[in-house]
Amino acid sequence: MIRTLAGLVIVLILGAVAAAVIPEMQMREELQGVGYSYASRGMDETGSSNLVTAVIVAYRGLDTLGEVVVLFCASTAVVLMLTLYPIGVKASEPSRIVAFTAKVLPAPIMLFGVYFIAHSHLSPGGGFPGGTVIASTFLLVMLGSSSVPDRNGRLPAIESLAGLSFGLLGFWGIMTAGQFLNNAFLGTGTPGSIISGGLIPLISIAIGAKVASEFSGVFKAFRNSGGEA
Amino acid sequence: MTETLMTAIVLTLGGMMVAAGIAVLFVRDLLSAIIITGFVSLSASVMFLLMDAPDVAITEASIGAVLATMIFLWGRGKIGDDG
Repeated sequence: MIRTLAGLVIVLILGAVAAAVIPEMQMREELQGVGYSYASRGMDETGSSNLVTAVIVAYRGLDTLGEVVVLFCASTAVVLMLTLYPIGVKASEPSRIVAFTAKVLPAPIMLFGVYFIAHSHLSPGGGFPGGTVIASTFLLVMLGSSSVPDRNGRLPAIESLAGLSFGLLGFWGIMTAGQFLNNAFLGTGTPGSIISGGLIPLISIAIGAKVASEFSGVFKAFRNSGGEA
Repeated sequence: MTETLMTAIVLTLGGMMVAAGIAVLFVRDLLSAIIITGFVSLSASVMFLLMDAPDVAITEASIGAVLATMIFLWGRGKIGDDG
């Protein structure tokens, strides 16, 4: 009861803060500063129809590299903890509905994830969500089978290769254009076609592979963290 | 979509999210709380989509609604039903 009340008080305080702040917010009719610069020049400079991806991967590519490193550290820590201290969850037999779904749905969901990654510079999506969608197919397969093999297979290799290729693509920019993660040295192509956007599709594939393999590893560690079972 | 319809949808969705957020505090078993949290995430994702932010909506749906819910469910397996 105390916990419930404490939670309610916190929610009410947050609500009061939001109620005080929201009326002060001013909606501008036009973009200003950096936002205006991205929106007006983004498509010409990067060749990417999706401005969000252009900002994430091209203009703020270094931040994304940092984000990937953070995710790598977090997933390593989770897998390490689960290996050292198994949580002792017994994997139960899947029900018939789950077992059937896990046979039918993974292929279309995985295709959807690959589409997110491959079209990140054309339509909404990108490396991070695409990677998580692909990892969720492996999650579904794991839920639909009563036992998951304990070996890692090629997961660490894919993860390392993807992380390495992100860095190497950045250094390629230093070699050719004198700028880390330079986007335009390969040519930007026609905005809207599948081969456009300079380095953006390549980096998206690297991010997607890395995120997918990391989350798959975390899922597998959770699923297999059943102690001796 | 007309302005009023849009407002109505956003208000309904927001009301449901607030109601679900309060309900999480009061439901008895942990499983219901986890599912309701996932519902809040999914509604937030629809809200982002209505606000013309499909990139954020996709990320919220895949990470907030699927991944986080799954991690919570495994955590519930650790601490048992009576948390």
